[in-house]
Amino acid sequence: MKPQYQHELMTSFMLWFDHELLQKGEAYSNQTGFLYYDDDSRLPSPYKAYASPYKQWVNDSSIFGETNPVIPTSFNGYDRTDDIIFDFENGRIIETGGAFGTDEVLSGTFAVKDFNIYLTNETEEDLILENKFEVNSRYLMNPSAVKPYDQMVPAIFLNCEFMRNEGFAFGGEDRTTNMIKAVVLAENSYQLDGALSIFADSARKVISKIPFSKHPSTEYNDIKNGSYNYVTLSNTYLNSNPYYIEDVTVSKISQKAQSKIPSDLQIGFIDFEISTNRYPRS
Amino acid sequence: MIDLELQKELDKNLALAARPQVRKVFQKAFQKKKNEMIAEFLNHPVTIEIKGGVNAANISGTLGGGSGNLFSFIGFDSEDDPIDPILRLLESTNFDYVKASKKRINYRINIPTAKDVFSVTPMPWASGRSWAKGIETGISGLGFYLRKKSDSSRSGIGIQSPRKVRKGGTKFKNTSYISAFLKKYKKEFENLQVL
Repeated sequence: MKPQYQHELMTSFMLWFDHELLQKGEAYSNQTGFLYYDDDSRLPSPYKAYASPYKQWVNDSSIFGETNPVIPTSFNGYDRTDDIIFDFENGRIIETGGAFGTDEVLSGTFAVKDFNIYLTNETEEDLILENKFEVNSRYLMNPSAVKPYDQMVPAIFLNCEFMRNEGFAFGGEDRTTNMIKAVVLAENSYQLDGALSIFADSARKVISKIPFSKHPSTEYNDIKNGSYNYVTLSNTYLNSNPYYIEDVTVSKISQKAQSKIPSDLQIGFIDFEISTNRYPRS
Repeated sequence: MIDLELQKELDKNLALAARPQVRKVFQKAFQKKKNEMIAEFLNHPVTIEIKGGVNAANISGTLGGGSGNLFSFIGFDSEDDPIDPILRLLESTNFDYVKASKKRINYRINIPTAKDVFSVTPMPWASGRSWAKGIETGISGLGFYLRKKSDSSRSGIGIQSPRKVRKGGTKFKNTSYISAFLKKYKKEFENLQVL
């Protein structure tokens, strides 16, 4: 199936969301440390993965702050020309040429997001009550590779639960409204309040509609062409019928309810109402 | 032949002179429409079900019509009256005199907006969210499960684990409620005329 409206909306929204949080909140920290060999059965046999104790790494070079994020381009002299893939999503590198063994010593510096961002179809009750997440802790006594593909907290889960088309103008133009709900799982109240505050201020902003084919990541979560700059990408498409954030409501789970949740995570919700005018029947 | 400006002035004066009588007639028509609006709200299946509290049946069909009801699903306490703030807002609907011209007297109807309603209908477990909006756009079962931990279910119905409930069919189904209802009555009030 070729990408549809909802696919483009969610990928564009996720890229914007990630950028907004990183830029407005400087929600990242630079970490220096070792990468550890991690046997990943999903990778083809000659591939070797070396993972950091954190995921996800920052990959957006448009982010700047008091301390700029370090976007890794090499570890111990090994870079993309040495058959290295940078898997930003899983906080690791993958060597594809068969040159690495299982006992390489690799270290370096990379920027880790304060919040991992995930698209999800899980219900809020499953996310909050059922899942047992690993914590992307900043203070590790015994660092080791984190398992790939598992979701780690602090994290924000995005889900588009509702879409409606309403007649807008003669000629078949509709106003399409989507509700995108974000569940925020934070380590502490400071972190939660920060994320909620950033997005409460995002009402009436516009989000560029970035074509599906222009998504910056490859299948292994590396960045295409070795560099990704959200601002440049977004500006390229800003005039092609962008999405408009009609309304945002943020909310924290009540203290009473919080006490009934079987984890120490602080929980909040961000509900976005996004609209755009389009011709869905053409 | 009367000058056009003079005719306009006469028409306006006529309208102004008749203002007290017109107001009475308009008040009657307005009140009738307002009563009709409130009655329709109170007879909406969602309203009836929530007003019915912990023992109501799922007549709105939002939970598949099976066991459980909206009051408990949203996670209200048994002593809560979630409908009352909406009712009070609807009852506050009124009208103001705007102007008289061309043998007409214009009134402005002040009817609450959907946003007004959403602001007085907080979820019991997350006050920034509106349960009334959730009826239209979706409500998670979180409130329902949170009560699992509470003192033997404040709303008085049985508790299942999240997965059991979801797979068992108690999944929330959106339905139109406040937005469509207020849109309809806004239009009807706008078209309200008395001769």
